[in-house]
Amino acid sequence: MVTSQAARNAVFRAIADPTRREILKHLRGRRRTVGELASKFTQSRPAISKHLRLLRSAGLVVTHERGAARLCELNAAPLRAVDAWLRDYEAFWTESLRHLKRHVEEHR
Amino acid sequence: MTSAGTPSDTIVQEITVRAPAARVFEAFTNPDERVQWWSAPGRFRTTSVASDLRPGGRWVMRGTRADGEPFMIQGEYRVVEPPSVVEFTWLPDWQPDATESLIRVEFTEIDGGTRVRLTHSGLTTERSRTGHRGWPQILGYLKDYAERG
Repeated sequence: MVTSQAARNAVFRAIADPTRREILKHLRGRRRTVGELASKFTQSRPAISKHLRLLRSAGLVVTHERGAARLCELNAAPLRAVDAWLRDYEAFWTESLRHLKRHVEEHR
Repeated sequence: MTSAGTPSDTIVQEITVRAPAARVFEAFTNPDERVQWWSAPGRFRTTSVASDLRPGGRWVMRGTRADGEPFMIQGEYRVVEPPSVVEFTWLPDWQPDATESLIRVEFTEIDGGTRVRLTHSGLTTERSRTGHRGWPQILGYLKDYAERG
């Protein structure tokens, strides 16, 4: 999967916020209307809509029109980019520790 | 080398170095030594390390990436217990939305050397005092998604 840095940054920004993570949690396993989601939070509905817009722009939420209501659905695929980023860090530390080992064992 | 049972936003790496713990701790924390080994040919090269090794002291590491662009990583020491433990925060400048993560390095003498265990945690959570653990849960969504096909 090709993911631009901008797309990855959008995902990071989206999941960095506790309210947005909570929204994703409520969408896990089932679709919900914006109103249903807003009822789970003490924040105003416009505030929740704003969070939803950011989640949509990151690709983590997709919406479907159903009559007058708008149904929100979780789309976890963009999280793969963040998972890949974690694996990069893993490789980075493996390499760094090998260098530390070589350095110490060669310079006693 | 990732250990089982750690949260998904925590990276754990281990290596055994044939030298006493005091020697390995020194190589890890002394900036003049760190600048020598902490590079990755083809990925980045470290050019300077400044370090005030005490709890609350700052450290900063500068270098050049493979594409020629400069980078900087900085942080603050949280735990300094030679030769066993050093813990410090980690904030790279190349991720616009990065938050500080935490690195703990433990040096344990074993037969014939020192086991170095590095734990990098808090990679994807905000710098907050809420104790909200977002990442393992979020990775669960990805698992659901992947298993659903």
